[in-house]
Amino acid sequence: MTPWQRLDPRMLLVHPITELVKFLPVLIGLLIAGGASGTGPWALLGVGLPVGLGVVRYLTTTYRVSEARVELKRGLLQRHTLSTPLDRVRTVDLSASLIHRLLGLATVVIGTGSVATDSDERLELDALPREHATALREHLLQRRGGATDPAAVGGNPEVVVVTFTPRWLWYAPFSGAVLVAAGAVAAAAGQLAEFVDIRITEDDIAGIGPGFVLAVAVGALVLAVALALAGYLLTNAGFALSRQGAAWHVRRGLLTRRETSIDVTRLAGVTIGEPAALRLARGRKVGAIVTGLGSDRAGSAVLLPPAPARTAAEVTRAVLGTAAPASGPLVRHGRAATTRRFTRALLGAALVVVPVGVGLALGGPTWLAAIAAAALVVALALATDRARSLGHAHLDGYVVTRSGSVLRSRDALGSEHVIGWNLRATWFQRRAGLVSVAATTAGGKGRVEVADVPVEAALVLASAATPGLVDQFLDVAHDRAREVVR
Amino acid sequence: MWQLEIGLEAAAVAVGASIAAVVWVADPWRWLLAGGAILACVTVAVVVPVWRYRVHRWEVSATAVYTQRGWWARERRIAPMSRVQTVDFAQGVLARVFGLATVTVTTASAAGPLQIEGLDRTTALALVDELTRKADLVEGDAT
Repeated sequence: MTPWQRLDPRMLLVHPITELVKFLPVLIGLLIAGGASGTGPWALLGVGLPVGLGVVRYLTTTYRVSEARVELKRGLLQRHTLSTPLDRVRTVDLSASLIHRLLGLATVVIGTGSVATDSDERLELDALPREHATALREHLLQRRGGATDPAAVGGNPEVVVVTFTPRWLWYAPFSGAVLVAAGAVAAAAGQLAEFVDIRITEDDIAGIGPGFVLAVAVGALVLAVALALAGYLLTNAGFALSRQGAAWHVRRGLLTRRETSIDVTRLAGVTIGEPAALRLARGRKVGAIVTGLGSDRAGSAVLLPPAPARTAAEVTRAVLGTAAPASGPLVRHGRAATTRRFTRALLGAALVVVPVGVGLALGGPTWLAAIAAAALVVALALATDRARSLGHAHLDGYVVTRSGSVLRSRDALGSEHVIGWNLRATWFQRRAGLVSVAATTAGGKGRVEVADVPVEAALVLASAATPGLVDQFLDVAHDRAREVVR
Repeated sequence: MWQLEIGLEAAAVAVGASIAAVVWVADPWRWLLAGGAILACVTVAVVVPVWRYRVHRWEVSATAVYTQRGWWARERRIAPMSRVQTVDFAQGVLARVFGLATVTVTTASAAGPLQIEGLDRTTALALVDELTRKADLVEGDAT
C-alpha cells in the first residue's frame, strides 16, 4: 500500500498568512481595543488563532495516490475521506497564488466530472511543491492518455505552441470586457455620487455644456478601456499553450497562475469566437469543446484569449492537427436563408419604425424620423452580416458551422464526437425548404448548431460526418420534409 | 390523451380570457371578445393534438433511434445506438388511465433527449427492452 503523504510543510507559512488575512478585520479591532485597554492576552490570541488553524489544517490533511485510486483525508473534528478511481480523473488543474509562487508551491485540483459543487467534495491538494505537482499531474493524466498515444511514452518534452506577447493587449478593448468594465465604471460612479451626496440645482444643469458631457463620456471610455486592459493583463499575462504527452496545458495569470490541462482524447473540437468588434480589430479567440466539461465551466476551456487572427489560426491547426476547419471554405445557405435573415431583422426594426410613424402622423417632432432611420440601418447591417456569416461544411473530419453577427462564432466538432443530430424546422422554415441543424455532443453547450440550412445540404452534411446514420432515415425524412411543405 | 391534456389547458385559458374580457372591456365589445377567445381556444384544442399526432413518429433501426415531434416547430432527432446512455419509461396519471406510456432516450449531450410519447404500455415496454439490449451491446462509455 502506498503510504499516506502530507502536503508541503511550507504550507505552514501559507495557511497562517491566508488565515491572517481572513482574520484581519478582527485583528484590527482587537488591536484597537487592546491599544485602548493596554495590550493583553487578547492580541496574542488574535495572532495565535489563525496560525493554529493553519497548523491544524496541515496536520490533518493527508493524501495518497495508489495504483488505482487517489485518496484525500482532511478535517479535525469532521473527518472527510475522498477517494476516486484513477480512470475517472478527467482534468488536473494547477493554480498558484502570489504567495504560493514565491514559495515554489502549487495547488492541485483533480476534476472527475462530478457535479458536486460543494467545496468539501473537491479533490484539492493545497499545496504541493511545484515539481511534485507537475509530476503528479503527469502521472494522473498519463494513465488516461498514455496507453493510446505512443508519443506519450518516455520523456514527454513539453512543446509550447503559443505564448503571450504584449501585442495581444491591443485586442483587449475589443472584447466584451470593455462593456463589463463600462458597466462597472457606471455603477461605481453611481455609488460615489450617492456617497458624496451631491446636490444638483437647476442652475448646475443649465451650466453643463456639450463640452462637459463630451469630456465625461471620453473620461468614462478611457477608464473602461484601462479597466479592460488591466483585467486582460491579470487573467492572461504569461499565457502559454503547450502540448505534453497526451494532454494540452493552458497556463495563464499575472498574479495567481492557473494551469488547466485538457486530455487530447476528450478534446472534441474548438469554438473560434469572432465577435463583430474583434473582427474589426482582426482578432479572434479560441475555446475548446471538451467532453464532460459543460459550458458552465467554460473558463477552463480557453485555448486562446483575444489575440491576432493569425495566432488563432495557428492554435487551431496545432490543436486539431489540420488547418481546414479554421480556414476552409464553407457551404453558403443560399437565397432562402438570406431572405429569412432580412425578414426577421426588418420585423424587429418594425417594432421601432411603426410607433415612430404613428408618432409622426400625430404631429411628433421630426427628429423622431432619425431614430426610425437609424433602426432601419442597424437592422439591415445586421441582416447582411448575419446572412454572410451563415455557413457549414464537413472539412477533414470536422463538422464546421458558422453563424451570428455581433457574437459570431465558428465551431468545429470532430465527427467521432457527434452523438446525434437534431433537425428542427418551423412551419415558415419548412415552406422555405430550410432546417436548423444541430450536431449534439457530450461537451460544451451540448451541440454545434447552425440555422436555416437547405434540407438537402443538411442531409449531405449529416451523412458526410456520420456515414450510414442519418441515411437510414434519410429518404423517409426527406419525403416528410416535402410532404410538410405542401 | 393529447386531446384531453390540451383540452384542459385550452379550457383554462378560455375561461381566463373571457373573464378578463368581461371585466376590462367596455360593454358592447365584451361578449364578442369573450366569444372570440373561447372559439380560438376550442379551435386550438381540436386542431393542435391532431396535428401533433400526425407529426409524431419514431423508428428504431439496428444502429440508431429516430424521433419526430412538435407541430408548428417540428424537430427530428437521431441518436446512434452506441451513444444511448439511459432509457426511461414513464407514465403520468392521464397516461395510466389510457394505458399509455412515454419512452425517453437520453444521450450524454445537454442538447436534449429523444422522447416518444403516447405509446401503448406493452409496445413501450418492448421498446425499452429492445433499446436497452441494443445499447448494451456497444462498448465504451458513450460520450
